[in-house]
Amino acid sequence: MAKTDTSISRRSFLKWSGAATAAAVTGGQAPVLHSLAYTGKKSAGTEPEYHFSACGMCLNKCGLVARVENGIVTKLDPNPKFLKSRGMLCARGNAGTSQLYDPDRLKYPLLRKGERGEGRWQRLSWDQALDLAAEKLTKIGEEYTRCGVLFTPGSDMQSQFVHWFAEVFGSYNVTTHESNCLLSRNRAYLDTFGEVPFADVLNSKYIIMAGANRFESIITPDSIDLMTAMKKGCKLVVLDPRFTKTAALAHEWFPIRPGTDMSFFLAITHVIIHENLYDEKYAQEKLYGLDRLTEHVKQYSPEWAAELCDISAKDIRRIARELAAAAPAAMIYPGRRTSDYVNSTQIRRAMAIANAMLGNWDKPGGLLAARVVGTAGPELPEAPFYDDNPDDRLDYGRAHLMFDEEGSFKHMRDAIIEGKPYPVKGWFTYKINPLQSVANRRKTLEMIDKLDFMLTVDIAMSDTAWMADLVLPAPSYLERQDPVSGLQGSSACACVITRDPVVPALFESKPVFWILRELSKRMGLEEYFSFTMEEYREQQLRKLPDSERALREDGVYYNPSKLYGIYEGKVYKTKSQKIELYNERYADMKLDPMPVCTPLREKVPSDRFRMVVGRNAYFTHCTTQNNTLLHELMPENTLWIHPSPAKKLGVRDGDTVILSSRSGEGELKAELKKGIRKDTVYMASGFGVLSEGLTNVFGKGACMAEILEDFTDDLSGNMAMHETIVKVARKGAS
Amino acid sequence: MKTQLAMVIDSSSCLDCKACMVSCKVENKVPEGYWRNWVKQRKPRFGDMPSPGNFGKVNGYGDPGSMHFQPGGCMHCANPTCVQACPTGATYRDEKDGTIRVNDKLCIGCACCIPACPYGARYRHPEKKIVDKCDFCAKRREWGELPACVVTCPTKARTFGNINDPESDAALLMKENKTVRVINQKTDTEPNMYYVSMTAPADWPRKAESPAPIRWWASLAKPLVWAVVGLNTLGIMVMFGKQLLIKDEEPET
Repeated sequence: MAKTDTSISRRSFLKWSGAATAAAVTGGQAPVLHSLAYTGKKSAGTEPEYHFSACGMCLNKCGLVARVENGIVTKLDPNPKFLKSRGMLCARGNAGTSQLYDPDRLKYPLLRKGERGEGRWQRLSWDQALDLAAEKLTKIGEEYTRCGVLFTPGSDMQSQFVHWFAEVFGSYNVTTHESNCLLSRNRAYLDTFGEVPFADVLNSKYIIMAGANRFESIITPDSIDLMTAMKKGCKLVVLDPRFTKTAALAHEWFPIRPGTDMSFFLAITHVIIHENLYDEKYAQEKLYGLDRLTEHVKQYSPEWAAELCDISAKDIRRIARELAAAAPAAMIYPGRRTSDYVNSTQIRRAMAIANAMLGNWDKPGGLLAARVVGTAGPELPEAPFYDDNPDDRLDYGRAHLMFDEEGSFKHMRDAIIEGKPYPVKGWFTYKINPLQSVANRRKTLEMIDKLDFMLTVDIAMSDTAWMADLVLPAPSYLERQDPVSGLQGSSACACVITRDPVVPALFESKPVFWILRELSKRMGLEEYFSFTMEEYREQQLRKLPDSERALREDGVYYNPSKLYGIYEGKVYKTKSQKIELYNERYADMKLDPMPVCTPLREKVPSDRFRMVVGRNAYFTHCTTQNNTLLHELMPENTLWIHPSPAKKLGVRDGDTVILSSRSGEGELKAELKKGIRKDTVYMASGFGVLSEGLTNVFGKGACMAEILEDFTDDLSGNMAMHETIVKVARKGAS
Repeated sequence: MKTQLAMVIDSSSCLDCKACMVSCKVENKVPEGYWRNWVKQRKPRFGDMPSPGNFGKVNGYGDPGSMHFQPGGCMHCANPTCVQACPTGATYRDEKDGTIRVNDKLCIGCACCIPACPYGARYRHPEKKIVDKCDFCAKRREWGELPACVVTCPTKARTFGNINDPESDAALLMKENKTVRVINQKTDTEPNMYYVSMTAPADWPRKAESPAPIRWWASLAKPLVWAVVGLNTLGIMVMFGKQLLIKDEEPET
């Protein structure tokens, strides 16, 4: 593992970096914060040290090399041996130093003094803070059962300890980021192939990307491999109501009518089946329900789809033929964030079925099964059983096919507000920001009003931390020791990375692992947290004898496990043991066993717009907008609106507009864009914040969560973020 | 053959992710509001958005009407108008590697070089009070590393090296491909920044501006300044010069 030089004393560390202004709200200990700014002083001229780590600015965990000069992390560069990212670090990865030395960082435990959201805090010692948290959690557990506390960890390498703590504490009410993201995709592919695939973008010859923006929403290795594949002749067709950078670089971009992707893919399947463009031998061996699908898609001709999706029948037919000609090295890209419509699982099922017809499963250029990484689950003691607990999760039964371990944040929130079937009075959040990321902010605030105690562990004063009772400061990823993490991603890798502190943790920040251990001691649960991080890691790596050397020397360990043909001689993990075009389980549950195209839940009236959301390459969900370096790339969000409807509304480029929906409203500047449909508007997430502790971004732009209504996918309970119809008015117009 | 460091860029690989810009900013401590490098873009020609019976689609990847992203920065020109404009000799061509450098100790922050650069590659550092620009990451090169923008690029659009060394990646890329340079027709500075096959936009460099009095002053002052260097009283003179010439400027927003 990377060596940490601890020989530099804190005093010299602070002295070197020179004087700087004190920080606002969270105050104090400011000198190190500006250590990356130009100070006019020369460094001592000593040779820099280099440490391996893994980026924590988003969920990709790209391998990096941190350069440390005189105790300061001065630069983060990609680890060239980290193949999953193809040896790159994006804008966010490069801005990691700005997270580490952010003056807005939380510095010590804070207890809310005023009303929620008022921003009055009292500094506590760690002992005071932990005693208080232990007392409050225990009290809620005794009064409302242990399930009376909801745990919401973000996507972080230490989040597994929050899950473990919830388990030993005794609550199965855990929701994560996932029900705001990709559960409908997971549901659809599990219910078709029995497994959630990785896309072999690198070796593909033809890719249709719908509802994904891979060149801006960077996922490694897909984003990079997509360009490499295109350079080798792969054709990219993008369906998106908005001219994203992915659309900009595609061979063909179709501004599809939002919410009609299912009609397009059913028509693609219609052409493939009715023109006999599939491999019959493969179909016979691997596919289940082709006869019924053949009959089912008869009605879904390209001519029928064209009227719905605004893509001509001629183009649909041509694309289907081109796609089939490139098969099996061709794919409908499975996507990631698929939280868009109330029938998202069925939309993704239509895409999965088209993939199945291409015969691309487990083949080069197609959809790949998970490779063996080889990390092992640590042996932990058996969690205690609390016999007074209710039978089920709080959100149980609110959607047909929810994942037990994830649930649905929206349904959980509704249940907490209703207090049914039982009350939840405590909330533990770790590095997640539902106040910004989950549709219908007012309801999240209403939910918080029902709570007796809310505890947030984070790096900065996010909107969620801003509403909490107790806020505990966590270090950034460059200052902590983490478990190992196994990563997959098509041909790029089955690999393992880890983190050791590159520099010691600043201020009084403590990793959530330490916080949970301390809480466990105070709550009589210490036997479940008696292991050290080293012991935990050793257990994770016990089946990979060469991994420790590789991690030390290369910063990454690769498992050269099988990539293609994993399913040769094996059955699929579905009810029929084949790829399910027709899903028997759905039929048993009286759900559509094959995707049925239904009208949109709500049509867009001529004077309104459908709001769509999406990513750019600078921000990770709602978390990096306040980063000084990234903030400069996009200081506020704007409303993308087509010039033609804007003209009708009297809105010029740069005018402030009021955007409103049934759930809320916000003010932001209009940006007139020819690259968006006339019936659609778009805004980036993470602005219009409540927290005054985010000094760069406070007071700028509008909040996505405030505008979006909280619809969900019927099957998975995943949020449906493209179901909101909005009104746009120029500010000051009557 | 003499070393000539250069950048050979495949702009058709660029995703406009801005990784190169942030990487450079961190490495070179470029202050807020300023950049040493950039990504420019050619906007696409849009057709009509779809309406009933009219289906939309724009020109795709590589078409003349499509969007194109173009990474850039100081072009380390063989015919550097900035060097000609500098009254003190602070901006000079490093004969070792062919790069154009700014000697911090000689720069008096007069900013004459800024309009002399057709590419807008220079800015006046608001705290150092001198002119700053890309030096192909000189410090990193001393450590044996590639420039920060080059290593971090997801699609490796930027290739860096000695184009006079036929074995270098940069030279090989130039040998295997037709390359173009982006210049203003009135001021061909002979950039050492080459774009593979084509690039866009191409019409943005401006004509190099070098005010006549400055040229006159430069012709007088340069030998004088270098004489001063020889006399080793440089520090005093620069301090004096700075006091005379520097006015605080607000950073551009």
